[in-house]
Amino acid sequence: MTHGPGEVVVTGVGLAVPGAGTPEALLRRTARPVTGPAPEPFDTAARIGRRGHRYKDRATRLALCAALEALRNAGLIPSDGEEVTVPGDTMGVVASSNLGNLDTACLTAAAIAERSAVDLSPMSLPNASSNVIASWVAIRHGLRGPNLMLCNGATSGLDAVHWGATLVAAGRVRRAVVIGVETHNAVVEDLLGRSAGELLDGAAALVVEGGRWAEARGARAAAALGPYERRAGLTGCVEALLPDGAAPGVWFTPERYAEGPAGAAPVPGAVPRYDVTGAVGRASGALGVLQCAAAVGWLARAGAGAGAGADPDAGAGADPKAGAGADPDAGAGSAAFAVGRGAAPDPVPASRQALITSGDDTADAVAGLLLRPAPDRHDPHPARAPLISMECSR
Amino acid sequence: MSQLVTGAGAVASVGEGVDEVFRALCAGTSGLGELRGFDRERYRTRHAYEIDDRPAPGTDLPGRATDWLLRAVGEAAAQAGLGEDLSEVPVLIGTGLRELRSAELAWRDGTPFDIGRLHFGTALRTRFGAVRTHTFSGACSASLYALALAADLLTTGAEDTVVVAGVDTLTESMYGLLDRVNSEPPDRVRPFDRDRRGVLMGDGAAAVVLRREESGAETRALGRVRAVSMNCDASHVTAPDPQGIARAVHEAQWRAGVKPGDIDLVLLHGTGTQLNDAAEAAAIAEVFGREVSGPLMTAIKCMTGHTSGGSGLLSLIVALESLASGRVPPTLGLAEPLPGAEAFRFVREEAREGGDLRVAQIDAFGFGGVNAVAIVERAGR
Repeated sequence: MTHGPGEVVVTGVGLAVPGAGTPEALLRRTARPVTGPAPEPFDTAARIGRRGHRYKDRATRLALCAALEALRNAGLIPSDGEEVTVPGDTMGVVASSNLGNLDTACLTAAAIAERSAVDLSPMSLPNASSNVIASWVAIRHGLRGPNLMLCNGATSGLDAVHWGATLVAAGRVRRAVVIGVETHNAVVEDLLGRSAGELLDGAAALVVEGGRWAEARGARAAAALGPYERRAGLTGCVEALLPDGAAPGVWFTPERYAEGPAGAAPVPGAVPRYDVTGAVGRASGALGVLQCAAAVGWLARAGAGAGAGADPDAGAGADPKAGAGADPDAGAGSAAFAVGRGAAPDPVPASRQALITSGDDTADAVAGLLLRPAPDRHDPHPARAPLISMECSR
Repeated sequence: MSQLVTGAGAVASVGEGVDEVFRALCAGTSGLGELRGFDRERYRTRHAYEIDDRPAPGTDLPGRATDWLLRAVGEAAAQAGLGEDLSEVPVLIGTGLRELRSAELAWRDGTPFDIGRLHFGTALRTRFGAVRTHTFSGACSASLYALALAADLLTTGAEDTVVVAGVDTLTESMYGLLDRVNSEPPDRVRPFDRDRRGVLMGDGAAAVVLRREESGAETRALGRVRAVSMNCDASHVTAPDPQGIARAVHEAQWRAGVKPGDIDLVLLHGTGTQLNDAAEAAAIAEVFGREVSGPLMTAIKCMTGHTSGGSGLLSLIVALESLASGRVPPTLGLAEPLPGAEAFRFVREEAREGGDLRVAQIDAFGFGGVNAVAIVERAGR
């Protein structure tokens, strides 16, 4: 099977999260193993070194770590280098963070009130701009396509994945690295009214790529992006993605989603649920990207034959029989038409798809996305992908 | 493929509403004033282009940027006939600094502020029922970036109508850090002048309604967006790269299917800093070549200050008004153009009747090397 013209796939995943080195490790339900100490904070120097990073804020360093791993995982940078091996203007950056530079803004304002602007360090200037994270990722890897920074509240990470896919679908770029990152510090803890232990200090990154472009360079797709919706509430969002109550194979719930009385949840009780923030802390603008990374782990596990049903953790907190929840017929019929705006009928049954939702009914909106197994590559001689017209001009 | 602008809204230091803002700019009115909301004793720089809506001098309130954004979006939506219901319409907001000013006040002074309102989705939902809202924090090109994304949503057929907006207010952190790095504090913004001393920030918001082109809709349109480019220098975290800017200008013209000789008017980014204006001049000179003396050029930050993420869209609205009216606001404070811009046809000192203006280019560049350039066209008459 070859990729449709508009298909966008995930070709790389990278994490910079304490205690979770792989996407599958995000499929945990507690912050740490039952025994043993809490994981150490993620050591950015171990991955990206110390040189050249002195004046970058913590969120930027974490983002660089996750982006580096995702690019390497996608085969877009050599094992010994950092510059991408594809033309820099064929690749964009979309970063998401709500809290990343709050400390620079607030500490600088306080320092001015205590003394004066003359005493500030000029090296803080870049960090006063919220897009510093996306900028540094572009500089580090030579990514000259569109460079977006989402600061969009609870849904921001999932929105960022959507915009990465939109850049690809619109032909602006062939691929984009999408990063979600948050950190904690005195300013963040104070403004959120939460302790450090409750909050994520980490980053996740995905490479999203046009299916045909991935295929043209022989890259393996770990997942395919399905439709995305942003709606007023959780129920409306899920219904838009999965009409007629089709049951997904797994549900990545909003942060700290509290299951209401039986039948109140918009997803059947038999579907296993994961709240990735249980393992890594409240994730704010990083959540959606972390969820996608975790969903890639779930798809890999399902694809390896184990399926969600073999997951000993699956369904904890939901129906105890949820492990068997991958009812092969569940919703498959209606899922064939589980489409977003203008999408083609969907050949992948809902039960093989991961439903991801960020934001809850108290947020300004709920964003949802379906992540699916990547199509098998059967054609040994994929047609040479034509250059899009834009690139002919360069 | 082009899109129609069917509504516009603006709030700035020089006025409220598109008509008032454009009239003020054409009259050479500047929003320059002494710092209103910060303690002046803490800075060498003492001026900015602020909206004078605080309760008393030296005091500050949270949520001012949000208020202006809602007013600009309201004006644009009303003009486009959308009314107050944006529940089905995507709203893309470009901002440099979000509500970081409110966060500064909350953390330092204990001013009550809901941190969930750092982005603008909650306020837009409350006022307009909007849920498909996206706050992009893309430095000083953010609102033109948002325009590019909106154009893509219309081009791919995903949407029929998108609201695009931009907004920013001064943060003390950004104002203070700019003060720290300026060698000599500027007392006004003098784009492209040999003796320019740097940038001063300004308050403001701008919004447009973008619609897919359809027959019959053009008669009431304010103008047409032909294309918007967006790229990234990927070279320096604050300094601009003339090559990256030139690529963005060239790509916008290529996407729009126009040549430099087709451009009648350029709204320059023109921040009045040494580096930015020199880089922009070099890029314009390179792309326009022998045509560089053709289009009229102006830069409105001399009167509005640098309205950061909202500045690109404010310039775009001014460009559409200029195309419609033939009047082009002046670049105040431009006595002698910087080296390399001597051949540019700047509009100076007072507004100029430009005659038959059809196509305009709008530049916006930001920290991190994020560049966006729009090409717009006068609506048919």
